[in-house]
Amino acid sequence: MSDHVAPTRTAAFEKRLKKRYAAERRFRIAGLCAVLFSVAVLVFLLATMTINGIGGFQRAELRVPVDFSTTPLAVASSGETAGVAIRSLQTQGLPEIVRFGAERALGAEGAAHLNNEAWRIVAREIIADPSIMAGEAEFWLPAGENLSAALRGDGKPELQPLARDLADRGLLDNRFDPGFLTRSDATDPQLVGIWSALKGSILTMIVTLALAFPIGVLAALYLEEYAPRNRWTDIIEVSINNLAAVPSIIFGLLGLAVFLAIFPHFRSAPLIGGMTLALMTMPVIVISGRNAIKAVPPSIRDGAMALGASPVQVVFHHVLPLALPGILTGTIIGMARALGETAPLLMIGMRAFVATPPDGFTDPSTVLPVQIFLWSDEIDRGFVERTSAAIIVLLIFLLLMNGLAIYLRNKFEKKW
Amino acid sequence: MSPAILFLLALGLGMAGWLAARARAWSFRRRDPNQRLAALPSHYGWYVAAWIVAPVILFAAIWGAVAPELVMQSVLAHPAAAELPAFGMQRQTILAEARAVATGAAQGVFRPEAAALVEPFRDALSRYNTIGIGVSLIIAFLGGTWSFLRLKPDFAARTKVERMVMAVLLLASLVAILTTLGILISLVFETIRFFGMINPIDFLFGTHWGPDPMSSEADPSRYGALPLFWGTIYIGAIIAMLVAIPLGMMSAIYLTQYASPRWRSWLKPTLEILAGVPTVVYGYFAALTVAPAVRDIALSIGISNASSESALAAGVVMGVMIIPFVSSMADDSIAAVPQAMRDGSLAMGATTNETIRKVLVPAALPGIVAGVMLAVSRAIGETMIVVMAAGAAANLTANPLEAMTTVTFQIVAMLTGEGSFDHPATLSAFALGFVLFLVTLALNYIALRVVKRFREAYE
Repeated sequence: MSDHVAPTRTAAFEKRLKKRYAAERRFRIAGLCAVLFSVAVLVFLLATMTINGIGGFQRAELRVPVDFSTTPLAVASSGETAGVAIRSLQTQGLPEIVRFGAERALGAEGAAHLNNEAWRIVAREIIADPSIMAGEAEFWLPAGENLSAALRGDGKPELQPLARDLADRGLLDNRFDPGFLTRSDATDPQLVGIWSALKGSILTMIVTLALAFPIGVLAALYLEEYAPRNRWTDIIEVSINNLAAVPSIIFGLLGLAVFLAIFPHFRSAPLIGGMTLALMTMPVIVISGRNAIKAVPPSIRDGAMALGASPVQVVFHHVLPLALPGILTGTIIGMARALGETAPLLMIGMRAFVATPPDGFTDPSTVLPVQIFLWSDEIDRGFVERTSAAIIVLLIFLLLMNGLAIYLRNKFEKKW
Repeated sequence: MSPAILFLLALGLGMAGWLAARARAWSFRRRDPNQRLAALPSHYGWYVAAWIVAPVILFAAIWGAVAPELVMQSVLAHPAAAELPAFGMQRQTILAEARAVATGAAQGVFRPEAAALVEPFRDALSRYNTIGIGVSLIIAFLGGTWSFLRLKPDFAARTKVERMVMAVLLLASLVAILTTLGILISLVFETIRFFGMINPIDFLFGTHWGPDPMSSEADPSRYGALPLFWGTIYIGAIIAMLVAIPLGMMSAIYLTQYASPRWRSWLKPTLEILAGVPTVVYGYFAALTVAPAVRDIALSIGISNASSESALAAGVVMGVMIIPFVSSMADDSIAAVPQAMRDGSLAMGATTNETIRKVLVPAALPGIVAGVMLAVSRAIGETMIVVMAAGAAANLTANPLEAMTTVTFQIVAMLTGEGSFDHPATLSAFALGFVLFLVTLALNYIALRVVKRFREAYE
């Protein structure tokens, strides 16, 4: 026997090992880069939207002093509706009074760029508080689109000196515009708001929840607790799993061909939109509901059964309450997806221009994502900022919903 | 009147029935204390309430669909309606205006023709509202009385109620089948109508896509959908997957194998946020930021005909959207590989990345392949990103910098115009939808089979 043992760590081995370790490092860094790329895209997306969107919550406004003492206006009695009172102020010459005040303060050139609808803001303030008519009052009124573009530094170059001049004199400024949340869609980016879209979204979500939640939970209960194993339940199960994977636009085609054929008078109403989205959300709720129900230990069922409860009582008194937090988590996630969904609603005609917020489930309406889509088609630079601002509102809603889902999951997570 | 009123009415009457029936059950007990009731008093209540609520809601659903049509019929029968234009937009506007005033949604009318119709509308609305509420009350009364009279001390209310509950549960689970059937029927029906006008062969294999919703003649040479299929595959299954598969796989590997638990608990939710961003936001991002950047880069490296709407921009953004999806699928299937295999490989002296590449990934491959299939099916069904960023031109080209259009884009384009339902351009959207439906179903089915067939069961 030779006492010569080959050295384990030859030069070739060391070289190979070094290469393998280098490969290991490269691989690890590649993995980290992949994750960081996704995070970077997310951060970049959110930053773009936020930077643009902050501008969207502002608008260019002109400082206009209005002197009411020369021309007294009569405010309609409190019994009148706002619309009638505004019309009465219009016939009494309020637009001219505002224009006159603007010309005095801004000069004829500047006053020409006051928004045509600016006097309505004055009218609303007068109706809210008639005492301001005692003397001179100062208002910040929206500027016209051209001037506000000039203030941003784009648009027509010949307007930019005027904008700079007014801004230097403190008469023109980008001011926070709380009305963005309370107004409705308009053709002028200075006057748009998201309230009608937001309200439409809320109404649509109510319909979706009212349909998808009970149907989803009941279907999950049936499949998990009572369904016999036969061909029928197999078909039900397969179709639920398939529905969860069907592209959302197909549900829009279904809504168009079926719901709008049955209810032709409710075109672009939250009712139809909610029904369409409910069909899309229901499979998500069923699947998450079944998992939550499956997680309830059998001993609870056996215990209730042993005390003489009927199968229906076992489920509704014991299993369902224990599974509910899990079901709710899945429901919120499904609803968050429905809230951001656009394509199916385009199909059923929720892309109309809606200037008045919907009053009920059957009024024509639009929803937040569709509003974002419609605004994104506008070439006006003002709409770019408004679109980003609307996206911020939508993302905040989604974040709140997902936060609630995470909170519920953590609070009620139980180990048996 | 909105159907909501009838629903509220049904719930109110149902509650009244519930209270009355429960009181009746208690009275049985009081009359004869030795009498054992066959069910709890509340079961009697539920029995009567169900007999009131269910028929009324059924009626309300039908009435909600029928009543507006009846109102319209009776308004059109009014002499003032004879002066309406025979059809078209103007007629619709006038009717809508009169209706808005009659329901109180608007203050006044713009068109003088509408003013004459306000009164007939108001009459018809109030008449049919009264009829609707009246019939609901009669139905509720009949259902309530019939069920109330059946209440006896030995009446097995609980069995009846539980049988109803089971029926409701079964109905709820049938909704999924009904939805699937509804999708199939509506798509197949319209597709057959479309194929009655356009030869399926022309549609599936033609290379020119340019339907004209205004033309009265169906021109088969304009309905070749091949460029759409190519655009869909190119954007969704090629560009998007080139982004999503490597990044998603590497993310999953890093998160499961390398990241410390603390890192992981931060990074994984961040990736999930990426999956929760609405597609319309991605579309806007693609159109506003990515597409111009892609064009500028293309111009700067000397490609002069780069379009501002490009397949590349849409595909890359779609890929980013799919990353978390691929990553979580890969994550799940890698996590399902038993720890012993990993430990064994490491014990033999393999480095972590050799273990991953030679042991974990091959073992997890069926799950990963299935995940990729599902990701493709999601990408080709994705709508908003391509609508906003990919363009409308049907190009049969491999140049990613050109505008390209997809099946979902064309569905949106065909159905949001003014075309009528009898026009082949409108119907082509349903045919495209049908193809999309079949392809996504096939992908999902294959994914399911791959997992079932090849997944190894580790015990």
